[in-house]
Amino acid sequence: MSVRRLLTVARKEFRHIARDARTFFLVTVAPAFLLVTFSHVFAFDVDRVNIAVRDLDRTPLSRAFLASLTADGDLTVVTYVQREEDVEFLFNRDIADLVLVIPHGFADLALRGGPAKVQCVVDGADAITASQSVGLLESRADAFAAGLRVGRLGTPVGGFNVSSRAWYNETLKSLVSMVPGMLAVILCMPALALALALAREKETGSFETLVVTPVRGTEYLFGKLLAYGVSGMASVVLAWLVATLWFRVPFRGSFLAFLLLAAVYMVASMGVSLVVASFVRNQQTAMFLILTVFFVPSFFVAGLILPVADEPIARAIAYGLPATHFITISRGVFLKGLGPGALWKPACILLGMGVLCQAISLVLFEKKLA
Amino acid sequence: MFLRIWNLVLKEFIQFLRDWLMTAFILTLPVLQLVLLAQATGSRISALRVAVLDMDRSSASRQLFTALDARRELDVCHFPATLAETHRLLDQGEATLAVIIPAGLAADMGDVARTPRVQIIVDGSNRAPALHALSAARETIAGFAADRAAELLAGQAAAHGLATGSPIDLRTTVRFNPAFNVKFFTIPAQVGFIVYQVTLVVASVGLARERELGTLEQLMVIPLRRIELVIGKAIPALVIGMLNFLSMLAVAVFAFGVPMRGSLLLLCTLTLLFVVAEIGYGMFISGVARTQQQAILLVFVLAMVDMTFSGYLVRVKHLPVALQAVARVVPFRHYLAIIRGVMLKGAGLDVLWTHAAAMLVMGLLVTAVAVRNMSRSLD
Repeated sequence: MSVRRLLTVARKEFRHIARDARTFFLVTVAPAFLLVTFSHVFAFDVDRVNIAVRDLDRTPLSRAFLASLTADGDLTVVTYVQREEDVEFLFNRDIADLVLVIPHGFADLALRGGPAKVQCVVDGADAITASQSVGLLESRADAFAAGLRVGRLGTPVGGFNVSSRAWYNETLKSLVSMVPGMLAVILCMPALALALALAREKETGSFETLVVTPVRGTEYLFGKLLAYGVSGMASVVLAWLVATLWFRVPFRGSFLAFLLLAAVYMVASMGVSLVVASFVRNQQTAMFLILTVFFVPSFFVAGLILPVADEPIARAIAYGLPATHFITISRGVFLKGLGPGALWKPACILLGMGVLCQAISLVLFEKKLA
Repeated sequence: MFLRIWNLVLKEFIQFLRDWLMTAFILTLPVLQLVLLAQATGSRISALRVAVLDMDRSSASRQLFTALDARRELDVCHFPATLAETHRLLDQGEATLAVIIPAGLAADMGDVARTPRVQIIVDGSNRAPALHALSAARETIAGFAADRAAELLAGQAAAHGLATGSPIDLRTTVRFNPAFNVKFFTIPAQVGFIVYQVTLVVASVGLARERELGTLEQLMVIPLRRIELVIGKAIPALVIGMLNFLSMLAVAVFAFGVPMRGSLLLLCTLTLLFVVAEIGYGMFISGVARTQQQAILLVFVLAMVDMTFSGYLVRVKHLPVALQAVARVVPFRHYLAIIRGVMLKGAGLDVLWTHAAAMLVMGLLVTAVAVRNMSRSLD
């Protein structure tokens, strides 16, 4: 293999990228831009639950109950309902997440020892928020009930003193958790660009002209890899700057370690996209494949927002995606200050994936040239 | 005029079918993606790993961590012997949550004057599971404490002649989704997103492709008017988008049991409106990009931005107010509200007309800009 030919291919690719401002933007700057856009969604942890109240009791106790529920601001009363028919309307228009119905005689029953039945109807369309809202409501209702019991008996109810701390993300901010994870997803753009470049040569017919040159398969692929890899690393640095300077996400690890692990991730994701590109004949298909098979699943399956699922099939698929492992690595380096030593497991998996995919794409490639 | 459009549409379809691999992908991959996502998000968050450092080793502490393990969300699977080992488990990500039970728990529990202590450390690097684990652990411990309090109080209450139960009984009913099935939230969104993806990709690549391959000049010399070219390119995207939508809907309803409580006709009509609006966006990108690679990367960027503001990942209500305003001009945001509203809540046009109107306005605006742009660039 001639290094000179490899470098020539790389230089040609660099020219292709830099020639048109649009392509350059999309390969190097776009990931950082996307990080900014996406992360603003998670910048504010506003978990408000909107309640509508139907108070049929209207006693000081029922008002005290409502006050205690909404005391710390997580639950907010947005409207008061008089009739049952209005409840449907509230859910349809998405005005309230939850409707609380306090029955007539609530105060009498509760003060006598109960139980006073309070009804809660929750909008189950968004199951995750719904169960959280119910949980919030139940814990506050329990606290109020415990307070009532204290009132009657005059002795404190023995609770436990639970002290809790969150490590790596003390205030449990969404942004701190999301930005390092999001890096893994947006950094697959250079890999996508590489696959498109390869598919384009096949589609526009410039591939045949390459066959008559003395450039060999390995030199061609590695030359492309080098060019897009370097551009990819440039986008990594830019994205890192955005994460640490713009979003002020704590970075507790070593920058060099992060670059090294990011390079491994590039190798893996580009390996995968090269394999994909070997099978397709045009760019549209390449795009479609990568978008539907790698990008969108990475959002839900890879452990970015929800943890990696328990079922064996979903788990196997998650471990097959390079993004899953880099999310672990990224969070490990940013938030836990870990180095390549502690992160050897995901790093090795990525390396293995990368090497395997490069090998496969090389074999497939040689066949085509021959 | 219609004959010319018809011929163009025919040519597009022939080109499409010639690349059978692509056609196969466009029709089957979305189904695969839907299945994959349903699998991954189907179950509620469960079996988060917990490490318990039990320094009391009494029957009381055993009862406590058994109660923790009994919860669906938690899975007690590590019993470290030292604090250092506990920290290592958290560092490595082997446990999401660590519960430290100090020595003397049983003694504290037996004495009504003392308050037992428990310490929890949660791995905050992934926020959602951290919050779940934390709330599950707190609830379990609170329940455990309440049981103990009930025992202690039962004696006193009996002496005072009072009832021993809780004075407030909260009953919850869940509308639209009695089983808290997360799938009901994610699958309609996924169907919407796939329709969005497919339509956008097919529509945006259209002109850029012809330009890149050099066949655009040939199109210029035939007697085809601008508007006919636009319509001719739009129709295949429309057909493919709607085909995908219908197959996705069938899979969602029959394979995953997502309810379809509203009017099918209304949903199809509004989906058609959405597809047309997205084709407008696709045409706009198609006009702006010089090569297919650019068109595709632009679609990628647009798709990501739309995902952010549309309520796909995070409910629009939970976005900061300024961003909620931006969300109003994203057609996908309105379409998500429509598909969820019709399928899960059986909503009708009377409730959804604001969303439909927004999509119509945005669609017309973008299409007008795209057509004007195109006329300029083609000449």
